Amino acid sequence: MEGGWVMGRTGRGRAAAARAGAGTGGGADVPAADAPQLRVVSGEFYPDWEAVYRDNVDRVYRLMFAKVGNRPDAEDLTAEVFLAALRPLRVSASAAEVRAYLFATARTVLAGHWRRTLGREITRLTDDDELELVPADDAVSSAAVGSSAAVGRAAAILAELPELYRRILELRFLDSCSVREAAAALGVSVAYAKVLQHRALRRAAQLLEVNR
Amino acid sequence: MSARGVRRFVADLLAGRRPRSFRADDTDVGPLRAAITLRAARPGSTAPGDEFVTDLHRRLAAAQTDQDVQPLPLPRPVVDGTRRRLVAATSIAAAAAAVGAVADHALTSRSPAPSRPGGQQTLLPNTGEWRTVSTSADLAEGGVRGFDLGTVVGFVARTGGALRAVSGVCTHLGCRLALNAPARRLDCPCHTTSFALNGELLRYQLAVPPPALPQLEVRETQGVVQVYAPPGPVV
Repeated sequence: MEGGWVMGRTGRGRAAAARAGAGTGGGADVPAADAPQLRVVSGEFYPDWEAVYRDNVDRVYRLMFAKVGNRPDAEDLTAEVFLAALRPLRVSASAAEVRAYLFATARTVLAGHWRRTLGREITRLTDDDELELVPADDAVSSAAVGSSAAVGRAAAILAELPELYRRILELRFLDSCSVREAAAALGVSVAYAKVLQHRALRRAAQLLEVNR
Repeated sequence: MSARGVRRFVADLLAGRRPRSFRADDTDVGPLRAAITLRAARPGSTAPGDEFVTDLHRRLAAAQTDQDVQPLPLPRPVVDGTRRRLVAATSIAAAAAAVGAVADHALTSRSPAPSRPGGQQTLLPNTGEWRTVSTSADLAEGGVRGFDLGTVVGFVARTGGALRAVSGVCTHLGCRLALNAPARRLDCPCHTTSFALNGELLRYQLAVPPPALPQLEVRETQGVVQVYAPPGPVV
């Protein structure tokens, strides 16, 4: 499979791919005029599906973990992405296109997860997330996917919170302290630590809303 | 606000458990999102576990073996040119598929693969959803189960570790197929036509052989087996 036809490496192509995957039915008929331009480039290709998997399982998992915050769900959703994507996938596409397709699938899978579990879309994969999975070049290592953005978002919120709110959230969420340990560290009662945590989360939610 | 639901969700999250489902309302979204954002920022532990990566690899390998035998029909050009033209054109289809058109299940509806005896199509509805047809436990190796989703009827079988679902309607005149379990085949009650569990035509009495049974996309997740089918009432 030398050479091969792949889509022009434009941002437009990637965004279009993401939108195609995110749709829930509808939009099935893409007008021919909107079809991406095809040209031969000597892009980077995956030799087989296993290479696709090896190169991307870490990225997809981190992306999902950043959006659900727990391992069991992140594992299930990662599995769902690969099981859904690798069946119709042809590896004759370039690495960037394969990642765009995986991202589109991940977006749909995450939306389905929230629909099933809570009935509300709590988190979603955004265009910013896509840039992390499908970088313009390979400057972004897979280790940075998801986690860097998550750390940045969390830090931004924490920085704006009043001292006690910030401390209780740091202790509970980042340092994994029990509520008892957190209460002791703050010099408050366990009952008050619970109230603090609840109020701090609501304030953090407001900040998150503003930052969006 | 579903205070209890949010509290349990956060407690599960902090304990590293799978959070329990509940009916969230609009006021729950913010706190839940904040909790996830903070938890995901916890240092370390965002990488997938080795065991998970290995296990998923094994599951994908099983699914890929299945695919190699029965590739999904991508739009293919009529074979009338040079080999070079054919290769170029199929590669275009492959690239288009890879960038997401297939994620939307759009390609085959725009350019259906030719229906000919021996050829096997995959049913990809314009609007579909993953619908459960069996639990994993009820479909052991070598097992077959019929399903009726209201919009689609069919059979799902697990053979050699791979799942396959096919339509349960005879491709001749539309009679409903019956499972002949001892012979491991699907029999048409109308004209002595039989299909294998993978949809291939086994025998027929007609002048022209009817096409193989369409396949449905099938997957296994969280202990259930699902096929991709149009939404509709469960009969």
